[in-house]
Amino acid sequence: MRPVFGIAGYVLREAISRKFILAFLVGITLVLAVVAMSLRLDVIDGALAASRLFGNELRSSIQSVDVALRPVYQGAAFIVFYGGILFGIVACSDFAPGLMSPGRIEHLLALPIQRWQLMAGTFLGVMTLALGGTLYGTTGLVVIFGVKAGYWTAGPLIAGLMACVGFAAVYAVMLTTATLVRSAALCAAAGFALLVGGIVAGHRQDISTFFEEGVSRTLFMAVTVMLPRLSALAEAAGHISASTPLEVRSLGTLLLGVFVFGLGALAVGFWRFEGKDY
Amino acid sequence: MEKRQKRKLWLGVAGLLFALAALLMFTGQGEESRPEAPKVEFPRRMRAPERERAERRRTQVAPPPVDAGTAEKEPARPRDPLLAALPRGKGKTAVVIEANALRHSPIGALLLDCLMRDGGKQLDEFRKASGVDPLQDLDRLVVTDEGMMLSGNFENAKFKELLGERTSFDYGESARVYEPGDTTVPQKDGTTVRRRGGGSIGTWNNQLLVVGESPDEVKAAIDRVEGRGGDEPPLLTENSTYGEMYGVLSVEHIARLFPPEQAQLAERLRAVAQNVELHMDASSDVALVAEVTGANSSEVEDLGKSLGAALSLARLQAQAGGDKKDKDLAQLLDFAKVRPDGDSFTLEMAVPLSIIQERLAFCREGRKEEAAAQAPSEEPAPPAASDASTQGAAAAPSGE
Amino acid sequence: MPAIEVTDLRKTYHRPFRKTGNIALRGMTLTVPRGSAFGLIGPNGAGKTTFIKSILGIVQPSHGTIRVLGGSPEDTAVRARIGYLPERLHLPNAWLPTAFLGTVVQLKGLPPDPAGNLRMLERVGLGDAVTRKIGGYSKGMRQRLGLAAALLGKPDLLILDEPTDGIDPMGRMEVRRILQEEVQRGATLFLNSHLLAETERVCDRVAILADGQVVREGRMEDLVRGDSRWVARFAPGVDAPRLAEAGFVAGGADGVFHVEATDPGALNAALDRARATGALLVELRRDGMDLESVLLGTVRARTGVAA
Repeated sequence: MRPVFGIAGYVLREAISRKFILAFLVGITLVLAVVAMSLRLDVIDGALAASRLFGNELRSSIQSVDVALRPVYQGAAFIVFYGGILFGIVACSDFAPGLMSPGRIEHLLALPIQRWQLMAGTFLGVMTLALGGTLYGTTGLVVIFGVKAGYWTAGPLIAGLMACVGFAAVYAVMLTTATLVRSAALCAAAGFALLVGGIVAGHRQDISTFFEEGVSRTLFMAVTVMLPRLSALAEAAGHISASTPLEVRSLGTLLLGVFVFGLGALAVGFWRFEGKDY
Repeated sequence: MEKRQKRKLWLGVAGLLFALAALLMFTGQGEESRPEAPKVEFPRRMRAPERERAERRRTQVAPPPVDAGTAEKEPARPRDPLLAALPRGKGKTAVVIEANALRHSPIGALLLDCLMRDGGKQLDEFRKASGVDPLQDLDRLVVTDEGMMLSGNFENAKFKELLGERTSFDYGESARVYEPGDTTVPQKDGTTVRRRGGGSIGTWNNQLLVVGESPDEVKAAIDRVEGRGGDEPPLLTENSTYGEMYGVLSVEHIARLFPPEQAQLAERLRAVAQNVELHMDASSDVALVAEVTGANSSEVEDLGKSLGAALSLARLQAQAGGDKKDKDLAQLLDFAKVRPDGDSFTLEMAVPLSIIQERLAFCREGRKEEAAAQAPSEEPAPPAASDASTQGAAAAPSGE
Repeated sequence: MPAIEVTDLRKTYHRPFRKTGNIALRGMTLTVPRGSAFGLIGPNGAGKTTFIKSILGIVQPSHGTIRVLGGSPEDTAVRARIGYLPERLHLPNAWLPTAFLGTVVQLKGLPPDPAGNLRMLERVGLGDAVTRKIGGYSKGMRQRLGLAAALLGKPDLLILDEPTDGIDPMGRMEVRRILQEEVQRGATLFLNSHLLAETERVCDRVAILADGQVVREGRMEDLVRGDSRWVARFAPGVDAPRLAEAGFVAGGADGVFHVEATDPGALNAALDRARATGALLVELRRDGMDLESVLLGTVRARTGVAA
């Protein structure tokens, strides 16, 4: 596994040296700082009595702080989930094509590293980056609201981790696409397509009613049964973040399923990468 | 060749992983249609069906007040006789229960199960004895400081048989007032028992039944219906007739509902609030909105905050408690919130239908057992084809 | 055991939706002795890069066998003993050279050695640029850094693709010195360079690759040596027609003639005939060729073009 970690470190170092990744981290920090400085929450006996943003009172009801913050946490979970995946698609789309560029891939392949390790390391590096960014953002959010409202919950953090699992499936497909065609744009397109497919797959039961019963509906169900249920995961993340009951039957199984899908996509990538000439 | 074999292995692994992933996601998410997320509909304003209902209830035209002829003569507008009959003036209480609407709500169905636990025997007895089917003929029930009022279709009511022994007299244009006295109630075995009647009863136009402490109270209510009341506006306007239960409660009444540990809050309520208007919606979950109005907006706002804090604290305490009762209470208080709005605030609370269903499950079970015990020949009566309120309206005179 | 042993190596690049592929190697057989400094030369498109990638496992051959350092290039243990400098090495611009070498050390599975990395940078002439980011390096400096990365871990086999590309003449001399040190250390050097003079100076064996096949291979001195052709310079006043009759062909300069003689007897007989015409010999040497001439001659002969 040492080469895998080595490549992951290589990817991470490369990522950190990129200006827009740094800009993203600075952006998150700024957003958190602005929220921390501009938001004022008056809490009386666990009830959110008043809230002010930039000094202006927000018209809201007086209710238990955790209940009052539910929409905030739920919204944050959705932003972290979908926003994070979208940013990840754009920001990480050229990692793998860059790594497989002429002059770099030959050098890497000539090193005592197995090809699958090179891919797995890239995947691990990108996931570490995603995990780091997510933890940074969600922990900041939890701390800000915890300090300001006295309500501490790990919900947004868990939601962020779930978003990372969703992104793992998306990035695995992007990485596999890079082994087929060395193009950042196509990698991003594949990631975006999977995201859309994942949203559809999460709502497959509802959407299937739009198809006529018979071949078309069966085909739709057969295709979507394979896709990662990203929207179901996003909704579950929202529920966890807001501490409301889950709608999925077993979150653990769903998470595992999405992650295993990612591993499956990676295995296809390994197959392709092992047989590719550079 | 070795490498090619190894490559193929990856493809095989990928196939297996995809199949496993599909299975895990299929079982993890579940394929059944997702249940509707609990969404509590708080009664905050009149909705279209309620507006239509209110319009249907404008069945009575009261004679215009007598004047010297100087005022411009306005055409008399039809109005809801029940609203007209309500007590008037500040500090009074009147709570209207939309019995017919409630009966057709999910909570009504549950309550009906409780009522029919004995197979509907008692209800049948009541029907036979009174000639009134509470499930069909009763439209609204009002509880006031002075007594009770019922509206609906009482054409088949056996008032004479039930109250025949009492002293009664016609009053006003369409009313009959029964003074307090004994009542003979027939029993199932054919015998009768005499019951001491505590209050005075008035019937108006076979669509209104007024129960009061004294004939004067009943007569005052009839006077208000027939336009002989004072100039004070009714306690409830037509615009406030939304929800399955609504009304105005005196601050004193509300304050008395507070537990002893909240005595301080109750005192503040007495000092700050002037009026409390209540609306309850039971069309799905049971949602309650209480609008508290006061004279001083800052004091009202402070009171709202204190009330919100008290509710939050109660919820936290309930959450900390381990037993089911606490859990239920915490769930109930989940929806509790206070919405400040200048010199008033609204307190919203809800009881999810699931909780009520759980609590009243024993009624349904009891009814099932009863139904199983009986022969399957007796089918429960289908829901009323027409609303009691419209029946009442049809039965009502035009007023001209 | 040779450092590289390739037998009947063929490689055809197939393109999707096309029946025929692009043939890069057509049955190439080559042996690179251990400890040698081996040069691979050939025209563009001869298959040199494909061959190098094949012996590193970067490209999978369509047919044939490859043994590198006694094992398969697929074996990571074998690749751990190889130092490779690609033709156009892409380096991370935002990194410091020490970080880059540190990463290569890690990926090669070597123990971290920051001091060793610094020494390596000094060895390749980047001692003054250690604190500069790679993005600010010139082409020559990048090439030196790539060479440093290839030299890490004292590899048994050094495969260098255009190592002096972009390096100034002084730098080339330094690189040449380093390569010679490596060969003296016992490493096998496999060099692909379009600078034939460089190959000629560094390598002791050369293979000429043309059209996917090895057309000539052997010791450098054997390749560049003219076998039966001699250059003779006579004192002024020679009788050129009579010399021509004696087998001497006039060269470019005045008094310079070429003569074919397969052995010393034939050479002396030819010289006797020349002296018989009154010509006075002032200089005699073997008519040797430089590598460029060898390459051109070999390739032209293969393609059927007169040299």
